[in-house]
Parts: sequence; C-alpha cells; structure tokens
Amino acid sequence: MGKYWRMFREFFRACLVEELEYRSEFLGNLISSFFGIGIAILTMNIFFYQTDRLGGWSYADVLVLLGVFNTLKGLIDFALRPNMPRLLEHVRRGTLDYILTKPVDSMFYVSFRHLVFWRLIDVALGLGLVVYGLAEKRYFPSFVDIVVFFITMAAALVLIYSLWMMLMTTSFWVIRIDDLSFIFDSFFETARFPIGMYRGWVRVVLTYVLPAAVITNMPALSLLGKWNISTALIVGCLAVVFLWLARRFWRFALRSYTSASS
Amino acid sequence: MIEVKHLHKSFRVHVRKAGWLDAVRHLWKREYRVVEAVKDVSFTIEKGEIVGFLGPNGAGKTTTMKMLAGLLHPTSGEIKVGEYVPFEQRAEFKKMMSLVMGQKSQLIWDIPPMETFLVNKAIYDIDDRAFRRTLDELVELLELEPLLTKPTRSLSLGQRMRCELAAALLHRPAILFLDEPTIGLDVHTQEKVRRFIADYNREHQTTILLTSHYMGDVTALCDRIMIINYGQLIYDGELAVLTEKLAPYKRLEVQFAEVPNVRWEDYGEVAEIEDGNVVLRVMREKVAEVSAHFLQHFRVHDINIQDPPMEEVITRAFQEEVPHGS
Repeated sequence: MGKYWRMFREFFRACLVEELEYRSEFLGNLISSFFGIGIAILTMNIFFYQTDRLGGWSYADVLVLLGVFNTLKGLIDFALRPNMPRLLEHVRRGTLDYILTKPVDSMFYVSFRHLVFWRLIDVALGLGLVVYGLAEKRYFPSFVDIVVFFITMAAALVLIYSLWMMLMTTSFWVIRIDDLSFIFDSFFETARFPIGMYRGWVRVVLTYVLPAAVITNMPALSLLGKWNISTALIVGCLAVVFLWLARRFWRFALRSYTSASS
Repeated sequence: MIEVKHLHKSFRVHVRKAGWLDAVRHLWKREYRVVEAVKDVSFTIEKGEIVGFLGPNGAGKTTTMKMLAGLLHPTSGEIKVGEYVPFEQRAEFKKMMSLVMGQKSQLIWDIPPMETFLVNKAIYDIDDRAFRRTLDELVELLELEPLLTKPTRSLSLGQRMRCELAAALLHRPAILFLDEPTIGLDVHTQEKVRRFIADYNREHQTTILLTSHYMGDVTALCDRIMIINYGQLIYDGELAVLTEKLAPYKRLEVQFAEVPNVRWEDYGEVAEIEDGNVVLRVMREKVAEVSAHFLQHFRVHDINIQDPPMEEVITRAFQEEVPHGS
C-alpha cells in the first residue's frame, strides 16, 4: 500500500512537471472552471424562479448537490479522464507491453498514471459550493452527518471509478474512444439533479442499473442530515460489487490481449 | 537462466476478403484460420550470454520474445526464466527482467528523460542510493549528461534510444530483452549502442537476448545465434560455425592493372566484374593458391580476402535449411 502511495505521488509530480511545460493553459482552465460552475448555478436559479422545490429539494439543498456533483466531476477530470484516451493509445501502439512488464498492478497504472492537477480547482470550487449551500440553509452538519458523507462520497468515487474503468476497458475492442467518453458524460450529467426529478423507469434505471443519481444524491443528503444507515450500507456494498466487476473485466480483457495480440 | 522446451504458439486470425459484400457478410459470419507462429522451439540460455535471434519479418522472433517476457501465453510448451514462469506475471519476475523495443518508447514525451527515470524509480521501488549509483554509471556509459534535462520530444532518435536503455536498466535486471534496439539509427550511433551493450554485459553478467535486422549488431555482439524461420528454430550455435558451414568460401577481391583474359570459373564463382575490379567467391582451401597465382602471373594493384558478408550467409541459411513451403 505504501508503495502505491509513493507511486501515486511520483505520478503526480511527473504530471505537474508535464503540465508546467504548458503554463499558459493554467489561466484558461481557471477561467473555464469558474465559468462552468457559474453557469450551473445560474441554471438552478432559473429553475427556482418558477418553483421553490425541485424533486422535493429546496434551493439550498440543490446547491449542496451541485457542489457534490462539481467535486466528483473535478476528481474524475483530475484522475480518470486523462487516462482513458491513453489506454487506447497504449493498446494501439503496443506500448501496453511496457506497462505489463512493470512490477505494478496494471489496472492501477493505467488508471492513475496521468493526472491533470489543475482540475483540482473544480474540486475546491465544488467543496466551496457545498459549504455555501449549507450556510444558505443555516444547517450545521453533525459529526455523524460528516462521517456518513465521507463514506458515501468514497462509495460514490469507487462507483464512478468502476463504471469508468469498465468503459475504458472496452478500448481493447472498440477503436473510437471519443464516443465512449461521450457515453459516460451523458450518463454522468444526469447526476446533476435530484433523483426525485426523474419519473418511472428512468428513475429505476438511474437508481439501480446505472446508479448515477445515487452517486451525487447520497453524499448530499448525508450532509443535510437526511441519511439513513441502510441506504448508506447498500451504496457501500454496491461500490464493492462494481469494483469487483471492473477488476474481473480488466483481467478478462488482459487475458484476451496477452493470448491473442502480436 | 532461460529454458524453453517445445514451445508452440498459434494465433486465430480471421480471414477477410476484399470488397464490401464480404465486409458485410463478415459481420455475422467470420472465418478463422489458425496461424502457427512458433513451432516446437527449444533452447537454453546460460547466465551472462548474449544471444542473437535472427529471422526475416514474421518468422516468430518477436512472438517468442514476448512469450519469454510474459506478455503472451504460449499455446503449449514450457518456459522458465530464472525460477519463474513468465506468463504468471509475478512481480519478482518482472523485477529481474527488462524489455526494450526499438520501435516503441516508454519515455514520457513532453518532459525530460530524468522524469521517466524517477517514475521508474518509484515503480521498481529502488532506494535512493542504489538509484543514484546506477544512474551515475548509466549516465557515464551512455553519455547522457547533456540529455537529462531536455524534453524527450526534442531528442534525436539515437539520443532517445540511449535514454530508453537507461530507463530499462535502472533496476539492474538480470535479463534484458532487446527487440531491434538499433532500428533506424545511423551507423555511428549503432556502433555506440553496440559498444554499450557489450560493455554492460561484460560488467554485469546480464543475460541478453537480442533480435535485429542488422547483421552488424549480431556480428559485433553475439557469439551465439539462433535463426528462426516459419516459426521453427533452424540453427542454434556459434556464429563462426554457421559461417563455415554455410559459406565454405571467402570473398576474394582483386584490383588488376588490366583485366587478364582468363576463364574465371576455373578459380571460383564470379560475384562481380567491373573495370579492373574482380570479385570472386573462392573455396576456403583454394584461397591461398588462387591469390598466389594471381600475384605471380598478373599485375595486381590490390588484393583483399574477406569472409562473406553476414547477410549472404543468413540468406543461404534460410534457403537451404528450410523445408519447402511453410
């Protein structure tokens, strides 16, 4: 474990050096991050001109949800998104061979080798929005709220990671990766809103099949003190199951790679 | 160090004909054909040996090497590298070997090679002192000092190759697989890379298996060669023996003041005649006699006796030892 932590730090450092090669990008990204979150808040405001509840959530609740969404999005863009097109490159150009000869877990390597550190701005902005939402509501979360928040947040991250990883693994067979990112994006966009907004089968799908809504709704609800322990446990278990599935799928893909490619 | 017994590898490839009709039919009905890339290959390599692995494109060199490195599962047969079975992909195994592919890079493109070295240091869990010591040695041997801080993308192909070698050797592997390490390099850089490989092998007793298209690599580095063609090992032994066996002649190049009117076939096989320059393939036991005869009877400016070039020998090996067809 210690070794993997050291490796992660080294990846981070190397990527920092890599990013700083192109310094001018920094400012552009800072601006786009602020712009992105600004537009999201504005959109919510427009909704709330018409109503004071959205799927059973008040304005301040939705701000917290948006904050959670932004934080998770930042983390995805920080660690996951930069690695996805690279796996495809590795497969196509055969440099995956180098990764497979390294004494590290290959799934760890392909998931975290490239980090785009300035995306952490989104994480900071998201957390800021969470705090702002709570202040607006004048709700001070209890210690237990925060613990449950961290648990569900971790579960959410594991869930996203697993779904993302499974999608990424298909690049062993699928050649056009842009389409894959697009699939994930449109799926993840649904997590921006309270689950109560969705009706019928869409809601069922988003809760159980592709648990997008659960991913953001659970942590937000926890922080607002509206958690219940059994749902938290279910989300935790779901995360473990998905991680297991992703891992199995990766192993399966590797097996077919190492027994077939030339 | 490396032990291979009755190694087989076959691939299933689907057969496709040209044309859109077939492309459509291909959607639901695929025809497969089994290609045997490696057939019943057995050999042993001792610690510290440098072995050259030769063969034309598609002969099975890279496939065999990939199986040795644990990247491909053999269809059948046994491989042991050190105490390990490569395709089990144990971390201990990976730490004792390294792979360098001339056509594929592991360096990070946008930043200096030093950063790749540091990433590898973390991956192989090398402690600071060992890392420093190894790096210093490699920097000196490969003359990397001025390259360490330049972005990889601005390095020349030769400079990059030297950095690739360093990146691959930082963890002091006991076995090194080199797949076309000098491909695309100019003669001078090829020479540099060869000298480094030879020195490194002598210094550290690293076992090296090398594939190459350049005969120069092989003649300069390897005492022993293995030739593979159509997936079969057709020769395994000393380079000198192969030359003697397959090329029992020498290349005799004579520069005459004026070309005498004789029947060259009486002396040997004519390779080329141009102006006053005559190149003959003369059987080894007759070389001394023939050259003495020329010197005695004709006015000769220059005379030169050489072993036949490696390319010629290898080409003959492919032609003569291989059963017809595939």
